[in-house]
Amino acid sequence: MIEKATVLIVDDEEMVITSVRAYLELETNFEVHGFTEPEQAVKFLEGNQVDICVSDYLMPRMSGIQFLTRAKHLQPEATRVLLTGHADKQSAIQAINEVNLYQYVEKPWENAQLLLIIQSGVERAQLMRELQATMSELASANSSLKDVQKKLLKAFL
Amino acid sequence: MSQPPDQAGFENELDELRAKVDSLAAQLAQEYKMASLGRLLASIVHEINSPIGSILSNNQVVLRSLELVKSALGSGDAAALAKASRLVETCLSLTAVDKIACERIAEVVRGMKTFARADSSEARKVDLNEQLQDTLKLTQGEFRQRIQVETDWGEIPQVECHASMLNQVFLNILVNAGQAIEGQGKITVRTRHEGESVHISIADNGPGIKPENRSKIFAGGFTTKAVGVGTGLGLALSKKIVEETHGGSLYFESEMGVGTTFHILVPVEQKNKAAV
Repeated sequence: MIEKATVLIVDDEEMVITSVRAYLELETNFEVHGFTEPEQAVKFLEGNQVDICVSDYLMPRMSGIQFLTRAKHLQPEATRVLLTGHADKQSAIQAINEVNLYQYVEKPWENAQLLLIIQSGVERAQLMRELQATMSELASANSSLKDVQKKLLKAFL
Repeated sequence: MSQPPDQAGFENELDELRAKVDSLAAQLAQEYKMASLGRLLASIVHEINSPIGSILSNNQVVLRSLELVKSALGSGDAAALAKASRLVETCLSLTAVDKIACERIAEVVRGMKTFARADSSEARKVDLNEQLQDTLKLTQGEFRQRIQVETDWGEIPQVECHASMLNQVFLNILVNAGQAIEGQGKITVRTRHEGESVHISIADNGPGIKPENRSKIFAGGFTTKAVGVGTGLGLALSKKIVEETHGGSLYFESEMGVGTTFHILVPVEQKNKAAV
């Protein structure tokens, strides 16, 4: 079950952001934040939690790979998706391991495919966070149990 | 009085050799055209992909929105009508985006036609300002936002030349300028009518050409670019095209820390009307 999700899109082309945002707002209730300047998107990530980062590969001042690397450091559980042209497919494939890329989507993209990828990417990020939260809960419950166990043993010895 | 036989023979040989040089230049030009077109292909494909992606997506959203609007109008429900009017607004703005996207694609295609046009065997009269404008469109992908292009179009007459060859020269120099500039920068293109020639200058505010490289710039095979980036053929071929095929001149001036300007002079009329 997907809670209200936040999607971050970075592309130096304003028209791509407008189109993807219009589509997502029609088909989902996701909150969409679009940036044509990767630096501004990085600043946004510093203060706002997102579930998925979708970035174009070829951008003037920062490549998609460079941006997603910074996104990975700032919010490791957010899913990372790359939009590539046919010519840069090779670089996208190399990036899969470098930035733990979830998927890459070739331009021109098909809306239905993009939607599926974003939806499953969002679900994945939310499950990861839930898992982290559960594990920390478990760890602290475990250590309080250990404390209680110590105290009990002391009482008996 | 007829000319002594060996002088006539010598002149014939000279004409033959001239024709051979011209045909070799055409061959090299063709091969270089293929190589430079391949290099630009990545940025051209990227230029077209974004507008096409937008148009496809917008088309789908508009179709779906119109269906929703149709049923909302049929229902007469207040909330549905409010949503319908919001959807109409969205459709209007997406249609505006589509118009821009279509114009962008048309521009790229126009720029590519310059290269697709088959080399005619004879020189023909063209407006070099127009040719430069078309060639500049091809650099948009590489330059966009990083490099500002300033143009200063002088009043120039039509020039009798092999347009697609000269366009390759312009493209080669423009791409070199773009590659020389690290980060942000500016390229200025200026045209002027000077006597019997048209003078084109392409200036960049890059780091300049190192003094030790200046004499080698036009030598075939010389390049300062990394393996796979430059072939070292560009300027050597450009010099051949401008000077041997067109009887013009190609030279540059450069200052370290200030920039480099390439000057191309092309005669308005071709004295040597040999076919290429």
